[in-house]
Amino acid sequence: MSGKDHAALADEFNKDEPRVNWHDETLWWVRQKRDKAAYKVPEWEELRETASRIKDNVLSNLSEYLQQFEAAATANGITIHWAADAAEHNAIILSILRRHQVDKMVKSKSMLTEECHLNEFLLAEGIDVVDTDLGERVVQLAGEPPSHIVLPCIHKKKEEIGEIFHEHLGTPKGNADPQFLTHAARLHLREKFLTRRVALTGVNFAVAETGEFVVCTNEGNADMGAHLADVHIACMGIEKIVPLRRHLGVFLRLLTRSATGQPITTYSSHFKKPRPGQEMHVVFVDNGRSAHLGRKDFRNSLKCIRCAACFNTCPVYRRSGGHSYHTAVAGPIGSILAPNLDREKYADLPFASTLCGSCSNVCPVKIDIHEQLYKWRQVIVQGGTAPFAKKAAMKTMNWVLSNPSVYHGAGKAGRWFMLNAPFTVNNGLNPWYKQRDMPGVPKESFGEWYKKNKK
Amino acid sequence: MSSRDKILATVKGNQPEQRALPNLPLGGSGGDLSGAFIAMLESIGGSAYLVSGYERIATILREQYPRVGRIISGCPELTVIAETGGRYADPHVLEDVGLAVLTAHFGVAENGACWITEDRMIERALPFIAQHLALVIRCQDIVADMHRAYEWIEKFEGAGAAKGEVAGVAGEKGGVAGAAAGMGVGSYGFATFIAGPSKTADIEQSLVLGAHGPKSLIVFLIDEGLSDAGFY
Repeated sequence: MSGKDHAALADEFNKDEPRVNWHDETLWWVRQKRDKAAYKVPEWEELRETASRIKDNVLSNLSEYLQQFEAAATANGITIHWAADAAEHNAIILSILRRHQVDKMVKSKSMLTEECHLNEFLLAEGIDVVDTDLGERVVQLAGEPPSHIVLPCIHKKKEEIGEIFHEHLGTPKGNADPQFLTHAARLHLREKFLTRRVALTGVNFAVAETGEFVVCTNEGNADMGAHLADVHIACMGIEKIVPLRRHLGVFLRLLTRSATGQPITTYSSHFKKPRPGQEMHVVFVDNGRSAHLGRKDFRNSLKCIRCAACFNTCPVYRRSGGHSYHTAVAGPIGSILAPNLDREKYADLPFASTLCGSCSNVCPVKIDIHEQLYKWRQVIVQGGTAPFAKKAAMKTMNWVLSNPSVYHGAGKAGRWFMLNAPFTVNNGLNPWYKQRDMPGVPKESFGEWYKKNKK
Repeated sequence: MSSRDKILATVKGNQPEQRALPNLPLGGSGGDLSGAFIAMLESIGGSAYLVSGYERIATILREQYPRVGRIISGCPELTVIAETGGRYADPHVLEDVGLAVLTAHFGVAENGACWITEDRMIERALPFIAQHLALVIRCQDIVADMHRAYEWIEKFEGAGAAKGEVAGVAGEKGGVAGAAAGMGVGSYGFATFIAGPSKTADIEQSLVLGAHGPKSLIVFLIDEGLSDAGFY
């Protein structure tokens, strides 16, 4: 592992307790909105099961569906590109921009481009990229990555956003009114939409049957960008395919209800052909997904539709913040996706969970998230990439638990120290004492009590 | 070996064994669909009017948007209040549109969305770039849920022949439905569901209407049996 791990980064987030509480409550409120929306649909569980099984079918026919989409989309006048990894994806985008001699681009939300670090790459090539989703624009101006895939600046207070807008957009200092700030962003970004010739969007669903792709936004930023640009580039992970257009009915019913509790996003736009005179590109990105498909225990995570319900419900995410996951897709789903990409770098993430299982219960495509977290832990420990402290602790535990006399001696010693010299355990070196108090120390162990009272 | 072939080969090699597609939920039907649609639309920040026809629509729009500036419409009946000339060479000239009035195909009761294909948008950018948006559907053209919605889309994509019957308001009036020869009324290169005004809650989860697209959305439901008396 290089850099700070989840626990260390969560520590930083936890320094400001009122903020942690606010973050926790805000996301729990979103989770409650999700519940209300789901309960209103009597066939909700049937929808989840259907979605999960459609995705099973997608995974078992992915190579055929990709080719079917390619043929249909090509016939519709869309150019298809294939990128084996992040570097190839970024190079394809750059080559399209260069061909059009363009050095400015607008972009709507795409977690894939975050995964590929497209913005940094293009910036180094002298290309100006403007993120147009309001939350993404906020974090872009702040020089940070999004902390949540649906609510990118959920970690920011409105006063901080007011300050960022004051600095970058010239809004009056001290104005932190969401209505006012949103309007300021509308004016600022409208100018970008009107002057950029290339627009990049993500893809929520790509239909193999028809070769069309669907982009969902509430703000309308994907459409503003795409319909005003000469060139529309849509980037998608290869797992975003659905077989038939009518399957969209299932997924669009689930997506926003799971995400924010809305019945549907404001816009669910179906792009099938470029408008006359426009160029439309779709970039298929693999970046580890095809290998991931071969991992029986973990392939189900490729069903994810990026609703973030598992983030909002997760007791760890809500209290550690998105940045503690140091990956583009945070939260429980990110913790099982990231190790596929780099097992060593993300070895800490499957441990950033209580395994409570709430993530699996809210997942609209029924991914067994908490079971995969548990399985990843085993793979990581067996593979020797577990964090050092964890490995040492496990080894010690193994020795203690397999030696009865050591076990009894250790228990006795522990009780004595906690009773007579609590500072030796209750100090900053012991992670168990962070945000925790230990219960009172019993005078004897259960074993000792049992021996005395056996008769 | 190209990336394409490499990716496809790896995917093919790693695909799990065949899993069949499930049956889809049947979808809802019946009930007070227009009532449910209106309630849902209002709950997501839009508003709805039951009207007898375009005369009423023009009156309401004049009252609701007295100083909205440039109005563009795909409804020839609205020539009195709007530019109804049709296409524009460059979508950027729509930058100053205050209000767009367009006919959609149908509404969806469960989420308040309307389905509109590009032939009814004049320009793809128009429903997004206008400061305010009004959509017109026939009162009877409301489906219960998204399953029914995609059935509609499938059915009418190739159904060019039955134009008068299925094209909704504009088609029936011989308006802008104008699907190109050989394509069905419902066919499209671009189409979208629009549910309420553009919105964001990215700043501390405070809902703000009017993110990048229209700040307000009205859906007019035309019920030709309706009398104007007693309205408004």
